[in-house]
Amino acid sequence: MADMTVFVARTVRTMEPSLPVAEAVAVRDGRIVEVGTLDTMRPWLESHSHEIDDTFKDHCIMPGFIDPHLHPSMAAILLPMHFTTAVGWDLPWEDIGPVHDSEQFRARMVSLDTGLAPGEPLFTFGHHPIWHGPIDRSALNQISTTRPIVAWHRGYHSITVNDACLRWMDLDTAAAGRHPQVDLDAGKFFETGLSVALRHLRGYLLETERFRAGLDRMRQVIHHGGHTTIGDAALGFYGFEQEWDHLQAVMEQPDTPFRIQLMPFAMGPEGDERTDDEFVERVLSYPSRNTHRLRFSDHVKMFADGGFFAELLMLKPPGHLDGRHGEWMTPPERFEAVARALWNAGLKIHVHCSGDLGVELALSTLEKLQWERPRFDHRFTFEHFGISSTQQVDRMAAVGAVASVNAYYVYELSEAFAARVVGYERASQISRLGSLERAGVRFAVHSDFPMAPAKPLNNAWVAANRLTESGAVMGTTERASLDAAIKAITTNAAYVLGLEDEIGSLRWGKRADFTVLEADPYEVAAEALRDIPIWGTVFEGQKFPIAST
Amino acid sequence: MGTDTPQDLVPVTVIAGYLGAGKTTLINELLAHDHGRRLAVLVNDFGAVNIDATLIADHNGQTISLKNGCVCCSIADELGDALDRVLALEPAPDQIVIEASGVADPANVAAYGQGWPGCRLDAVVVLADTETVQAKSRDQFVGELVVRQLRRADIVMATKCDLVTEAGLAAVMDWLAATAPGAPVLTRRAGQLEPELLLETAQSIYRPSRQQPHADNGPDEPAFDSAVIEVDNTLDRDRVEAALQDWPDSVLRVKGILRFNGAAGGLHIVQRVGRRWNIAPAPNGFDPSHTGKLVVIGLPGTLHRRYLASSLLN
Repeated sequence: MADMTVFVARTVRTMEPSLPVAEAVAVRDGRIVEVGTLDTMRPWLESHSHEIDDTFKDHCIMPGFIDPHLHPSMAAILLPMHFTTAVGWDLPWEDIGPVHDSEQFRARMVSLDTGLAPGEPLFTFGHHPIWHGPIDRSALNQISTTRPIVAWHRGYHSITVNDACLRWMDLDTAAAGRHPQVDLDAGKFFETGLSVALRHLRGYLLETERFRAGLDRMRQVIHHGGHTTIGDAALGFYGFEQEWDHLQAVMEQPDTPFRIQLMPFAMGPEGDERTDDEFVERVLSYPSRNTHRLRFSDHVKMFADGGFFAELLMLKPPGHLDGRHGEWMTPPERFEAVARALWNAGLKIHVHCSGDLGVELALSTLEKLQWERPRFDHRFTFEHFGISSTQQVDRMAAVGAVASVNAYYVYELSEAFAARVVGYERASQISRLGSLERAGVRFAVHSDFPMAPAKPLNNAWVAANRLTESGAVMGTTERASLDAAIKAITTNAAYVLGLEDEIGSLRWGKRADFTVLEADPYEVAAEALRDIPIWGTVFEGQKFPIAST
Repeated sequence: MGTDTPQDLVPVTVIAGYLGAGKTTLINELLAHDHGRRLAVLVNDFGAVNIDATLIADHNGQTISLKNGCVCCSIADELGDALDRVLALEPAPDQIVIEASGVADPANVAAYGQGWPGCRLDAVVVLADTETVQAKSRDQFVGELVVRQLRRADIVMATKCDLVTEAGLAAVMDWLAATAPGAPVLTRRAGQLEPELLLETAQSIYRPSRQQPHADNGPDEPAFDSAVIEVDNTLDRDRVEAALQDWPDSVLRVKGILRFNGAAGGLHIVQRVGRRWNIAPAPNGFDPSHTGKLVVIGLPGTLHRRYLASSLLN
């Protein structure tokens, strides 16, 4: 067998400023030996046995795509469900069309019910009253009186169920009837009322076989999107050790074509830990359990304000359109104390922040920490970055912050947010990227899957175009340049994860991770980015074509 | 309010308030106090609770059992799970006390008391640090939250009152009263625990020999008075509901057994905590010997027995 494999391509987009375009990549033992042309590689080719692989002679080789922020465990719960979202989802096993209105929603529910074995519960995900109108228990009873049906809201914080489900859950209806956030007549469980339903449903949703089947679907989704590295941006929502076991069982397989960078969330001392030192010690110990594909490092996750899809973001004045409130996920004082412990231990902090007040908490904390104990290259990362101001961007630049932005908000939520949540001015500037680029703040874009489709090219497309689902353009000045949008799923995504010396671009010594495209993204129009077909990926030198569905 | 919540459920008291308001101090005192109730106290962080080691009978993972029959339980991830854990205890606790997280909306925590299987809500007590609450109410990050927490209170308790001047305290009390209209605002000094106020004890009904609530309160003026209102008549439920609604904020707690006339008549348990009240049929097998008695706890000098009794009748 030859020492090296040399992949030749129509174009190799290295994303390396010193050699941006090449024609061939030589690979040995899963790592790149040299990038260039067959001609420039001659010293290597003459001194080592090699074979030329021209599978990609009509393709464009890109660095393997990276999404630094997804949630495999949450996906493992949702992916076994049936999607009914207003926006379509192209999933590896099914291309699901959009469900635009109440009539389509009903039709979809009926067809799902028809397709299931008798008695098997039907879990759907994606109902949203803006598109699908209200639903209630009696509407779901019309779908089935015998099959338990759970319709999960697109924003995750409520469900609607039918009578058969109420019976299946064996619910204490007297107690549920007293709960201010359960509407039994409507079959609706929302906010804290959702816990009442989950008390009965959780066992089913987290049952090992189902959870691992969901995780295996997640494995397919990740490959399907063209990723070779993802970040799990908060391991432990449903139990840290349990999730870790499931991840190992499902993801650490020879045919898994990607690695997962795991970020524990760091909320301070837990269990018997008394001091911040003990808790920091625990965080620092995680990498000792690393496997080949599942890796912890010195990056940790913190939470400022509530979620964007759930509309629990914290806003500076003038606040929410209708006067409602967001919520803090961490008390601000606690946030600062935990951040300080992590900062002083040299860890890299990623902060979930949705609204401009959430951003302000993270930013003012970072400014304080920089004043107390300056650090260079600290990778303090603003995650999601829904609503922000340009002045905050300038301050982020001043203290060396990095951003990992959910650009997809613009596509699915900006118009609804303009109408119902924050008004047009702020909604049109959701997930600002142009300002970050102009200020020189490095940014990645992410999907936060299952919040948004796990498709890096789609995220880059939203970033560069800021088009909404209805075709409107939101905030052209906040578009990323095409180059910045591509960097946001390659080099800068690696940078956000602290893996820029290993992945993110193509040069000697890096992992031989490629995403292979049917067209060169620098040659198609920005509007066409999301339509570029993906041949498949190469992970550590091994080819993994994407099976056409 | 006023829904017929069964009384055989375990009452839940929510202790809320922003970070530093004194929730942990209060909970430490509740656990150590000889109030005769078997409490299950759910806390966010064991580390902060400082239980005297000589009082601990057993420490098992997420639960600390005390020799006085109380347990302290860490909420960990899911409040519902923690409630299930303590409701499963044998024998069941007399009362559950939940320490809300400093950034929680008390209404969301109260929802568990209202609608979790096996529970009913007793009251939401929101603590406010006298020294800092006004400044916190203007803080850009938590100002709105601090005010919202106070507005959710059935009873507001101003804490750390010994740390401010008398004039300062009066100003804060005025501000709290204006910020949380409808909720009685009380002062609390360290070590001065009022279990009869915080917990659903109604001691004098069940244990008439029990000492007066303020006998133990140290050198200060009594923090509140208590009285027993006796009515012989069978009462009109609408009238009682109107009275519970109308009684002044200075009436802090009411609990008793009344007999109603009419179709939905019979023995009922009547309760009011701060501005929250509830009337429910007495459970089967209930001892009727105290029928016609209401135990009332109120601010000193404000319990006008005759007024209260007559308002139930007319």
